[in-house]
Amino acid sequence: MTVETKMPMVLDVISENIIKHGSPLALKGSEVSSWAKELDLPAKGEVLFYTGGEYQMLPFIDSLVKTITHLDQGSKVFSMMMGARNILNKTGFSPEKMYASVLAKDKDRYNSVCFKAAKVLQELGYEFCYSGKEELYSGALLYELGYLQDMEDYVKRVVEVIKKSGAKTIVCLSPHAAEVFKFVYPKMVEGFDFEIRTYVDLVWERRDKLAKLQSAESVVIHDSCRLARELGIHQELRDILVSIGADVKEAPMSREWTSCCGGPIKILFPELSHVIGERRVTELKESGSSHILTSCPYCLSALEAGRIKGDSAVVEDLIEFLYRGVKA
Amino acid sequence: MTVDLRKDFVNYAKSLNAASEDKNIRTAISRAVTSYRNTVTETLERFPHTPELAEEVQEIKRQSMANLDNLLETAMASVERNKGKAFYAKDHQAALDIALGIIGKGKTVVKGKSMLGEELHLREYLEDNGNEVWETDLGEFILQLRKERPMHILSPSIHVPREQVAEVFTKFFGKVVPPDIAEEVKVVKEFLREKYFTADIGISGANVVAADTGAMVIIENEGNVRLATGAPPVHIVMVGVEKLVPTFQEAMKVAEVTWRYAQYGVPGYVNIVSGPSKTGDIEKVTTYGAHGPKEFYVIFVDNGRNEMAHEEKFSQALHCLRCGGCMYECPVFQVTAGHFGHTYMGGIGAIWTAFVSGGMEKAAPLVYSCLRCGRCVERCPMSINVPAMIGELRERVIYGKLEG
Repeated sequence: MTVETKMPMVLDVISENIIKHGSPLALKGSEVSSWAKELDLPAKGEVLFYTGGEYQMLPFIDSLVKTITHLDQGSKVFSMMMGARNILNKTGFSPEKMYASVLAKDKDRYNSVCFKAAKVLQELGYEFCYSGKEELYSGALLYELGYLQDMEDYVKRVVEVIKKSGAKTIVCLSPHAAEVFKFVYPKMVEGFDFEIRTYVDLVWERRDKLAKLQSAESVVIHDSCRLARELGIHQELRDILVSIGADVKEAPMSREWTSCCGGPIKILFPELSHVIGERRVTELKESGSSHILTSCPYCLSALEAGRIKGDSAVVEDLIEFLYRGVKA
Repeated sequence: MTVDLRKDFVNYAKSLNAASEDKNIRTAISRAVTSYRNTVTETLERFPHTPELAEEVQEIKRQSMANLDNLLETAMASVERNKGKAFYAKDHQAALDIALGIIGKGKTVVKGKSMLGEELHLREYLEDNGNEVWETDLGEFILQLRKERPMHILSPSIHVPREQVAEVFTKFFGKVVPPDIAEEVKVVKEFLREKYFTADIGISGANVVAADTGAMVIIENEGNVRLATGAPPVHIVMVGVEKLVPTFQEAMKVAEVTWRYAQYGVPGYVNIVSGPSKTGDIEKVTTYGAHGPKEFYVIFVDNGRNEMAHEEKFSQALHCLRCGGCMYECPVFQVTAGHFGHTYMGGIGAIWTAFVSGGMEKAAPLVYSCLRCGRCVERCPMSINVPAMIGELRERVIYGKLEG
């Protein structure tokens, strides 16, 4: 027997946004792809550069969580919100209005991660195309949150966009996208035979060409769960950093034993997620380095939030760290 | 029909938040995690054959679950052959009814620690039916007095520091018990010793059951199980059917892997009980009830396990040895302890909640608080793919498949 289950509203909002707008937060394609303006990337090519809009949406996640999850879901205010939600459904979720409180510097920072990633790859001699404003989110959260049946329909649209590029290889910035492309899409889409690679993978292959650090900085790697356990990529990160002359310190729990950043439960259990992120930052600092590098948008955001006020720790994506060498 | 889970999520989030602010939980679990990791590393170095043995046990478990009906039949016959009495309880209520049928009213019962007991709310049920029941595991005893539920499957009172133990003991024993662990252990020992020898019935669970011999294998450190199952005239074993394996030899393999990952290193005691106590010393005439129990009962409890065994995507969850290792590696459990759970805890607990203890509605919030980070799988000697099962359960919740 099946029943209708009423789930926390944040799940409805995110799943509907993905299905209707191709982005968990209903960001517009033009906004998600704005980073690429100057680069003039081709729409077709052998290798497709895939962002999935994930880094771009990071600054908005917290606003969404604050707006929706913190409401007492049995209260009158909540019922009113449900009304508001219906309106939003008709008009489309308007991030510009809903997330007006997001700081410009955060928006700029996360938006530029994709730009930096592309620049690093170009510097290493890679050529690639990009779907621009047509690019759709991979649907990883539909998979993660249990919307598998909806995902089966959704992925068809994603594949259509990917196919337009004519690419044979997809390079993913987010390990979550790589995971679903690699393990979930082939089960849902017949003939989904693209070669799935991660950004880390590509950099690793040509790591000898990376600019060396001016002085030996010490860094500590936060292995993303997906990258380390599902995709088996952890030594590569160390190889890359060692090759540019960084002094890589190890946290007590790393590689396939890495501790989760708390990110995956942020939308439903934000406080707890925050506690877990904070603990992970502390654990990473036990390595002896406070310069934390990761290679996953959600880890980046969760660890950044996990820094206690006034904490001297620096949290960066590997992309941001490597880009400094390109710029120099 | 509509099932509104929104309030459940809100309340659950509140309880998780409160737990994550509880300094006792935080300190206790940090200490426990460090000690767990150290002990396991050390004992795996000492007994390096363990991971290979664990793989062998995975296969034993796989075949046992695929063959559950036959194993149950064999085991019941073995118990009867050993002059014990074997029962099969289809569900929760049947298990309680059978137990109460054997025990009756006005009895004193001493009980070993058992997750199945928690699942069935066994102590409360027997008490409500006019019996005096004592938990003999120290941690469970503390919780019995505090009227709380376990916060960890092996260290149930992990969240209660010695000062709070002293407080509750002082009140219960009516004399000052200092916050000194040795003193606290001693006062309980004295109290329970009298109970073991005046009790009418001893109840235990079992870690493994060998179908061929009807041998119940019970691992412990305190010695309470030894006394609770040896001193009273009646011993009742209540055990989930997933604990069945074909042979005695295989049972030993399962037991060794269990205790190694359950941080026992080498356990203080391994009890193997196959029937009532007996002697043939006078004229070779077998007489039952020599020094130990005269009566021996085994209640095999299903309560959703068979259904799980038949679900391809979930049968692996029945391989769980209840070593508790996954919980120590779980970032959510590390800050919330048993609050991330219903009866069974952590990610694997969420799966067991769905099928065995609580149902899908109770399981839903738990299922969504799992990070699906996968570190439990790294630790699990049975490599149970909890994240995959959590994903499957989420799908069922979203599309309203709340019943089996």
